[in-house]
Amino acid sequence: MAGPVPIGGRLRRVPVDRLRRYGTSYAMLLPFLALFAAFLLWPLANSLYLSFTSFDGVNPAVFTGLDNFAELAGDARFRHALGNTALYVVASVVLGTLLSLGLALAFNGPSWPHRIMRTLFFLPSVTSSIALMLMWKWVLFPSEAGLANTIVHWLGGSTVPWLATPSLTIPILVLMSVWGGMGYGMVLYVAGLGSIPEEYYEAARIDGASTWQRFRHITLPLLRPVTTYVVVTGLIGAFQVFEAVYIVFRGTNNIGGVLDSALMIVPYLYDQGFTHFKLGYASAIAWVLFLIIFVLSLVNLRVGRAMKEL
Amino acid sequence: MAACSTILVAALSTACATSGQTRTEQADQNAPMTLSFWSTGGDDETATFQKAADLYHQKHPNVTVKVQTLSWDDAYAKLLAAATSRTGPDILSGGMTWTIQFGARGAMVDLRKHGIDALKGQAQPAQWESAVSPDGSVYGVPLDMSTLALYYRTDLLDKAGIDAPPKTWEELVKDIGTLKAAGVKKPYSQDWGNLDWIGYFNYLYQAGGAFYTADCKPSLDTPQAEQALTYWVDLYREHGAPTATVEGSDALDTGTAMVVAGNWIAKGLDTNKPKLKGKWAMAPLPAGPAGPTTFIGGRAIGVTSYSKYAQTGADFVKFMYTDEAIAAVADEARKRNISYIPPRPDKIVGGSTFTPEQAQVFAQAIGTGKAAPGCPGWDESASDVAKQLQSAILGKTDAKTALAEAAKVMQRNAG
Repeated sequence: MAGPVPIGGRLRRVPVDRLRRYGTSYAMLLPFLALFAAFLLWPLANSLYLSFTSFDGVNPAVFTGLDNFAELAGDARFRHALGNTALYVVASVVLGTLLSLGLALAFNGPSWPHRIMRTLFFLPSVTSSIALMLMWKWVLFPSEAGLANTIVHWLGGSTVPWLATPSLTIPILVLMSVWGGMGYGMVLYVAGLGSIPEEYYEAARIDGASTWQRFRHITLPLLRPVTTYVVVTGLIGAFQVFEAVYIVFRGTNNIGGVLDSALMIVPYLYDQGFTHFKLGYASAIAWVLFLIIFVLSLVNLRVGRAMKEL
Repeated sequence: MAACSTILVAALSTACATSGQTRTEQADQNAPMTLSFWSTGGDDETATFQKAADLYHQKHPNVTVKVQTLSWDDAYAKLLAAATSRTGPDILSGGMTWTIQFGARGAMVDLRKHGIDALKGQAQPAQWESAVSPDGSVYGVPLDMSTLALYYRTDLLDKAGIDAPPKTWEELVKDIGTLKAAGVKKPYSQDWGNLDWIGYFNYLYQAGGAFYTADCKPSLDTPQAEQALTYWVDLYREHGAPTATVEGSDALDTGTAMVVAGNWIAKGLDTNKPKLKGKWAMAPLPAGPAGPTTFIGGRAIGVTSYSKYAQTGADFVKFMYTDEAIAAVADEARKRNISYIPPRPDKIVGGSTFTPEQAQVFAQAIGTGKAAPGCPGWDESASDVAKQLQSAILGKTDAKTALAEAAKVMQRNAG
């Protein structure tokens, strides 16, 4: 009869056993790990270091401590970009989530018309964002050649300078974002709706619950995980808006368009890093953006969890 | 995880080489060599410069220059990535201030070491000046020129009873009124430089002002600058120039009577807009109180500091100013129906790709032309200056306040 295995012996044997058991799997993961480390972890660590330097892209980086972050605090253009981005994020995430849910409720059936509608609304999500932005630029072209102005002319109006009117910039950016993203949210909500047991609705109907009450007390609470996911991914995507500004609104010498009305954080980061040689400063902006997104995502997850416990 | 991708934008292209520069060891300049020339522009332009490179190869059989295209949209970022990793081209071309920017950071060769000053007398003086760094270094020289002209619809001017394009500011305003009275809905618009400092540039110098004094002190808070901005703002607010930018040929095609646009649209106008054939002409920009001045742009060409063939590269740059190189580029540009104005003013009429009448208009514009300010802090200030100009045009502030704010920014960035 074998005696008890000493604890130290077990500790020594466990890694060997694990290696024997999972060695092949770990070996197969190694190429990915190498790529992950080379193209994500190392650049991330490097960019964190650069955020504390005055690196210009050509000369050696010079350590400047918190100077970049102090400069950011007093940078009026950065604050302007932050304000624009906040407005854009709130509007596009709220509208995008609501419309995604609305579309999912409208087209969640198995019939062909519903499938066709879901496919149509999902199409922008699988189309190149560059192609979509070029299409929007054509739609908003400031003469009769642009689709939007053609419609305005049919209605008897005169040409609208869509891209040169600062008050229209954020609404246009939100429209482009919501139009391009609501199909993706819709598909997630359709999947969420499909996972709600029909019995809940039947029981509620028997108890005399109205359509609104069934939606309010069954559908919405059970869709909370999907909503959290849609909102968090929407937040991350919206904070990182770039193509729409760069392709549609950028001026000859100003990435933020007329009066910086389209200036967002990532385009500003790109402008500072790649046209003004301030790569250390751009890295600092990137880390501030990372922290903002990280904190907001945490808050969102916490709120979602708290509401579940209610 | 997705948030990390943002940080990668700033990190990936720079992470590879933060260890600093090393002096590039020069290779034997007589051995067989292949030089890489990154040309900012389109593929057709690349092909025209390749003709000059082929000609250079005939004269120097050991040297092959391969010209590659960089699109305007991403050229600057690619050149920065190349400078960071010190593995890019031997020769590059790009915007007029680019070589100054890269040179100031040690990424370009000061061509004075290779006798480039000999070209100074051949170039347009103002354009040459704009390519020279504030400390006198010459990291790049003009490769070609671009400028502006007033394109106009002859049929619409005839309809309004106007027999010649406007020659002065007063005539421009009067003609806009006459065209409106004759039922022309879109009398005037601006393409290149609309709502931007390039657009204002013309009026500023035509009024006798300047962005900087000769010794690089910001000079936007002057009566001349205010007169120019007031006139420019009035063109939008009083006379209906559109704030939205419509490309020059599209503007003419959709019924705009007079359009300020770049030289490059002249070449393809008849082909791209066949309906306009025989219905358009061009003239120099109307002169202001201090005379006619037009913005001159173009591309600069220089040699990178990490090239092993700096001397040969500089020799190729000088070769681009020879009669035969200019003729080779112009011939190919004609075949491809694209615009080309050589960097030598004496070659504009004979060596450009335009009709003699068109070339005369550009020669006249370039003869009195000025180029972008090459003063310290200008690149950092340009977008803020443009923003202040836009504030005045959109009625958010008056001309005087906008200029004072712009001058403050320029002063701050001038150091």
